[in-house]
Amino acid sequence: MSSDPIHDNFDSEEDDGDFDADANTSRDKPQEDGEPATNALDGEVDEEEEEEDEEDEEEEEEEDEDVPARKRRRKLNHFFDDEAEVDDDDEEVDEEEEEGFIADEELPELNDHHEYREEHRHRELDRQNEQRQAEDMEAIAEELSRRHGRSRRGRGADSGLVPRRLLLPSVQDPNIWGVKCKVGKEKEIIFNIWQRMEKNENTKHPLPIVSVFEREAMPGYIYVEAYKQSDVMEALEGVQMVYPRGTKILVPIKEMPDLLNVVKSAEIVPGTWVRFKRGKYQGDLAQVENVLSNGLEVRIRAVPRLDYGNNLDRARENGPPLAPGEKRKRNNFKSNTAVGRPPQRLFSEIEATKNHSKLLSKGTASNGGSKNFTYAGEEYEDGYLVKDVRLNLIITENVNPTLEEVTKFATTVDEGAESLDLNALAQSLKTSSSTYQVGDTVEVYDGEQQGIVGKAVSVHNGVVTMDVIEGDLKGKRVDVPFKGLRKRFREGDQVKVTGGKYRDESGTVVRIVEDKVTIVIGEGEDMNEVTVFSKDLREATEGGFATSSKYDLHDLVQLDQLTVGCVIKVDKASVRVLDQNGDARTVIPSQIVDKVTRRNAVATDRNGSEIRIGDTVKEIAGNTRSGVVLHIYRAFVFLHNREMNDNAGVFVCRASNLATIVAKGGRVQQSTGPDLSKMNPAMLRNGASGGNMMPPPARVGGRDKTIGQTVTVRMGEYKGLLGIIKDATDSTARVELHTKSKTITIDKMKLGFRDSITGAIKTYQEFVRPGGGRGDGGSSFSRTPGGATPSWSGGSRTPQIDYSGSRTPAWMAGGGNRTPAWMANAEGGRTPAYVSGGKTPAWGADGGRSVYSGNRTPAWNPSSRTPYIADSERSAWDAGSKTPARPSGLESWGQDSGNSSTTARTPGAYNAASPEFMAPPYGKEFSAPTPGGAMSAPTPSAPTPGPISAPTPAAWGADTAPTPGAIGGGYGRGGAYPNTPGAWGADDDQ
Amino acid sequence: MFFIRELEKTITLHPSYFGPHMRDYLIHKLHDDVEGSCTGQFFIICVIDHEQISPGKIIPGRGDAEFTIHYKAIVYRPFRGETVDAVVTSVNKMGFFAEVGALQCFVSKQAIPSEIPFDETANPPQYSDGGEQVINKGAHVRMKLVGIRSDVGKMYATASIKEDYLGVL
Repeated sequence: MSSDPIHDNFDSEEDDGDFDADANTSRDKPQEDGEPATNALDGEVDEEEEEEDEEDEEEEEEEDEDVPARKRRRKLNHFFDDEAEVDDDDEEVDEEEEEGFIADEELPELNDHHEYREEHRHRELDRQNEQRQAEDMEAIAEELSRRHGRSRRGRGADSGLVPRRLLLPSVQDPNIWGVKCKVGKEKEIIFNIWQRMEKNENTKHPLPIVSVFEREAMPGYIYVEAYKQSDVMEALEGVQMVYPRGTKILVPIKEMPDLLNVVKSAEIVPGTWVRFKRGKYQGDLAQVENVLSNGLEVRIRAVPRLDYGNNLDRARENGPPLAPGEKRKRNNFKSNTAVGRPPQRLFSEIEATKNHSKLLSKGTASNGGSKNFTYAGEEYEDGYLVKDVRLNLIITENVNPTLEEVTKFATTVDEGAESLDLNALAQSLKTSSSTYQVGDTVEVYDGEQQGIVGKAVSVHNGVVTMDVIEGDLKGKRVDVPFKGLRKRFREGDQVKVTGGKYRDESGTVVRIVEDKVTIVIGEGEDMNEVTVFSKDLREATEGGFATSSKYDLHDLVQLDQLTVGCVIKVDKASVRVLDQNGDARTVIPSQIVDKVTRRNAVATDRNGSEIRIGDTVKEIAGNTRSGVVLHIYRAFVFLHNREMNDNAGVFVCRASNLATIVAKGGRVQQSTGPDLSKMNPAMLRNGASGGNMMPPPARVGGRDKTIGQTVTVRMGEYKGLLGIIKDATDSTARVELHTKSKTITIDKMKLGFRDSITGAIKTYQEFVRPGGGRGDGGSSFSRTPGGATPSWSGGSRTPQIDYSGSRTPAWMAGGGNRTPAWMANAEGGRTPAYVSGGKTPAWGADGGRSVYSGNRTPAWNPSSRTPYIADSERSAWDAGSKTPARPSGLESWGQDSGNSSTTARTPGAYNAASPEFMAPPYGKEFSAPTPGGAMSAPTPSAPTPGPISAPTPAAWGADTAPTPGAIGGGYGRGGAYPNTPGAWGADDDQ
Repeated sequence: MFFIRELEKTITLHPSYFGPHMRDYLIHKLHDDVEGSCTGQFFIICVIDHEQISPGKIIPGRGDAEFTIHYKAIVYRPFRGETVDAVVTSVNKMGFFAEVGALQCFVSKQAIPSEIPFDETANPPQYSDGGEQVINKGAHVRMKLVGIRSDVGKMYATASIKEDYLGVL
């Protein structure tokens, strides 16, 4: 018997109590010689036969305990017959009580040596006897335990003290065979066998099997526990409906416990979801309303499937005369009512009245009032079927209700979205395995440890181990079961929903009521408040939320070949986009071809200036909405304005209907300083311009300026002929000749442009880039290119010059033939053109360099821009004025603005402007703070708004104020600085 | 709350900028880069002092030089529980947005006293108690920050006006 060790173990434990008690009593007695309890032994053998295994221990005990007892007896007469002592054990207690007295009397006696000696010899003999007998007894005990061990084992199993693993079956235990039988008759068979077993129990041939059982989970099998397979055969011989001759499955030892494992069925509480096992509602979801008192039936609520008698057969089945139901139902089963059953719909009073008003009756007031009906023997409440069903007709495990199913229950049961969501969430909560994760902050709201807050350090088997951070046990580590635990958040926390309907949404906590947390999700117009269980929330990691959708808000997506759209709302399964025609529509991700990623798209606004992503622009016509450019797609610009409500603030416009408002937020910032990790643009420019022909001006858009000009052909076949340019491309012009009625196509370079005022002939270069005019005027004033050039080539004056010194000859050489022409052609009329061309850098690159370099030093100082730094703009200017070029410029400007003759103006304006004009280009390229500051963010402390702001608008406004007069005028009035910004503003509005 | 904080910034300079004005370039760049920026912890309002510009170190293989600038700056760091004054920037049915300088705050409807309900019919939409407390765009509001969310280079806050002494100023 394998159970022997178990058994022994068990016994020893069981006896411990006695043993200790005995030991205690015997401790009082010092005599360890302990006489052999010879006499007792015989009697004890008998006892052992009854008490069996306990014998071993008792033997030992008795050796101890018997010492005093027997001694006493021996004192009387130790040759007394043993028989008398048989009962002693039973009366042990009494005897021991008396012991106290007797022992006292004994002591003197023990001291008597003589007597003791004599006794000792006897004892010796007794002990030998005992030993001999003990061996026999061991054999007997073994025999006994072998014979009766099994039944005793059953006793052992009752004890909770035996470690479970020792109870597991081993090889020595009987085997279990699975035997096939008729499905559904398992219990009957078992009962038969059991009867048989009982009948044969006390006969010669008891059934040789140990047990027989069946498992509901394994229909068609019964299990027989026996030592031998032949025993199984014998036991099942002649039993009906079981087939022992077929294959018998020997259950492996390892699987035996599993076979007998009892799965505790889930507790059914009101609110649990269940499913119908069979019948018309097979598979339908139902909610437990109440568990009836007998515990075998539950009252459930389900969505009815009624056809209200449209199918008469079924109606009759549902009808009240269901009395002979048993048979009927069976037929129902056969025809499989789940097929072709009516759809799930809430109970409708109207429909029911139509066909079966007889079967319908209104509910009594006691069960809820007018919304309750009894129809065809079933009760309906709020449209739901309410029914008492037996537990075995419903499935309670692995119900896994879907959201759709749950919604059917929730929508009308509780009105209002919140409760619906909670219901749905509560459900998802049940199915999700572990809602707590390491690192979560959790709070205990129920149980002993109520009120403590901690951080989870480990989670397993429904228990959270947490480090307490608040409450009585602060600093300790405690284990708390899920029950009574909830996650803890604070208002304002950024959280993410991890389960339920709003899964993957993230938002900000705005209200917490117990374990219901209200969060605000979404942005802008899509913002929404939802309430979810704290269990379904996690603290969102700072930054970067993983979105479930491939597309983000404001992405530009391709819808088809011709259509693109900007995402204005992202839902889990769909995306709402605003297409280029301004229509908003909802598409599913599969309808989207791709995301359009062109970050560097550029368009031009109606003024010809470029629009880039990130610019702030304004609609010219229509609603004059303004917004930040999100995307540019061909001629369409997608804009975003946070303050607009429709389409999440996104709208679409044609680029040609837009005007830039803020000088391109993004770029202004960029232009405030050179990119210090790239080549210095100042040097770049020097290098580029030196020795090369100046490239023709890049067209800024708009009409070619040459069109309509009167020109002469300077070379080629038509040399000398006069004509008017009718059309032009970048490099060629179509000239309608005055002499011949012919239009020719000719390279623009071959044309001479006649100045309308002076009549001088200019080359194309000079015509489009009339900056050269400056040179002429310049010589008469201190700030001439001529003057500058030598000093510049001298290279000693400013660092800038030093720098480029080596390039000087080349530059001179390269531009040599050009320079005079340039200067020669200086004309007032052209100044504006030059300005308007927006060629500032180019211009700067040429003659202006000395000024430029002179200027730069002071203006450059970045600190002058920022208010908190001591240097003021003024001083920067003052510093700048130290260069010779500058003061003269200022003065001449002042004078010139007064004398407004054309000739005077040209150089004057030119010169005068130059310091200022210098500044803008300068600023643009070098982040010279002046213009930048003036343009973008008027720094409050700029002390001399005049000089700064005046040129700036001029430079910028140049586009729209092309005539010199306008500029001159502007400056003339220039004393009145306030005008200037106005002028500028006006420009822009155009 | 505003603090003066010592910070450090590394700037890389192209060799073409090496020269007498290098310092100016660097300082200018520093101002450009850091002022008005947000580290995710605080906003750098302005640079007040350049403690020290380290000698430039040439980056091997590129020729660029790297400078480390230690500077002091006034920074603004919002705290949970801090009471601040803000300007309302937009109002909707969920609550309103307000700005505390560079910091964007959201005040949820839950954090607005129920005496000040949302008035959808008003133009522009506003929260108002029908009396003098009107929260619309541009209103000045005293609020308490209840939550702060930092992102890379951004910060948002959630605020409440549902307490004594908070609300429209």
